[in-house]
Amino acid sequence: MTQRPLELILARNLMSALSTPAFLVDEGGVLAFYNEAAGMMLGKRFEELGTVGPDEWGSMFGPFDENGEPIPYDELPLVTAVRSGRPAHAEYVIHSTDGSSHSVEVSAFPILTAHGSQGGIAIFWPTELNADGSAPA
Amino acid sequence: MKVKLWGTRGSIPAPGPETIRYGGNTSCVGVTLSDGSLLALDAGSGIRSLGIDLGEAPTRLHILLTHLHLDHIQGLVFFAPAFRPQTEIVIWGPASPDASLRDRIARYISAPLSPVEVRELPCDVSFRHCPETEWEIGPARIRAASVSHRGPTLGYRIDDGDSSLTYIPDHEPALGADLERLEEDWISGFALAEDTSLLIHDGQYTDAEYPGHIGWGHSALSHSLAFARRTAAERTVLFHHDPMHSDEFLDAMSAEARARWSGLGGLDGAVELGAEGTEYELPARAPSPAVTAA
Repeated sequence: MTQRPLELILARNLMSALSTPAFLVDEGGVLAFYNEAAGMMLGKRFEELGTVGPDEWGSMFGPFDENGEPIPYDELPLVTAVRSGRPAHAEYVIHSTDGSSHSVEVSAFPILTAHGSQGGIAIFWPTELNADGSAPA
Repeated sequence: MKVKLWGTRGSIPAPGPETIRYGGNTSCVGVTLSDGSLLALDAGSGIRSLGIDLGEAPTRLHILLTHLHLDHIQGLVFFAPAFRPQTEIVIWGPASPDASLRDRIARYISAPLSPVEVRELPCDVSFRHCPETEWEIGPARIRAASVSHRGPTLGYRIDDGDSSLTYIPDHEPALGADLERLEEDWISGFALAEDTSLLIHDGQYTDAEYPGHIGWGHSALSHSLAFARRTAAERTVLFHHDPMHSDEFLDAMSAEARARWSGLGGLDGAVELGAEGTEYELPARAPSPAVTAA
């Protein structure tokens, strides 16, 4: 069987313990994992979705710019990070499967190893505030 | 393929009357391949005894290092064949962005930690980073893969004929992961150990001890057993015993391991604690290894 690179395994283990929404893709851009916090934001748990290819996940949840226009897949921070080997950041709106929308800031960075790039991680920071001014969970 | 445990202890040698049966030497496993080729898995203090056992005859030996923590390399400068010009040694180990394998080992085999330098060793010694892909030594196919521990660390799988040996002495696959539920390809070390004839695996802590050592790079008993069950290893030897664990303590741990393995539906006798001096013979065409001496 093909073993996932250790760096991806450790990244997934860390992400599983975080309450910050996070995405993990492999070196080919295939969505390898997202954590429970991301699942709450997207309205679907990773276990329900499973691994999906770059074309599919890039369009499943939007994203959309501030004018409501779809952001091309090639311009997503995670795609930029994996392809360029550099961190990338953006603000956009994603759609949950329950119909709600979320404004988020996204920071993505590549997973670079001694054997080259193994994929990338994107962290989502919801920008809508709760009624008391605190950041949403 | 013949396998002998020359050092089963983790962290630091623990000699004394309270560790005489399981042994006090740190990690070293000797492997004789079906064509007589010699391998040493790690070079803890146990490799000193292996060197004495090899005698004076000209020797060609491959040393496969999992990582460079002291308990896995401290025997190198006490390995007698290294001080004979007729010996050829190839040392394999993990690559690191920090420095070459030779330079990293030389930090230990140099002043003030060592009375000799690498360049002064009379033997013919070379250093090689383990490739990402399978390679061959004699009749065996060798695979190395990074595993969950602290710092660059490898596990090894050696396939010789129909038998295989998997060696992952320092391993914490359950760090942040549920080994019972995780998909196989997401378990550290899984591909190395899948369906292996003999798995030598980290078994440093009891379940009660583990919470105080999370992230230290080692397994609790339940993790080791879960890993063995998920990978369907035919036989498992728990290894890298904590230096604080006496023979009496390890006897109790062994009994618990056997009972829990049986409770998981495993075969009796398929899980044991490694004891220094134990030998295993993995027949080229037999399904299961057999203990030949203790």
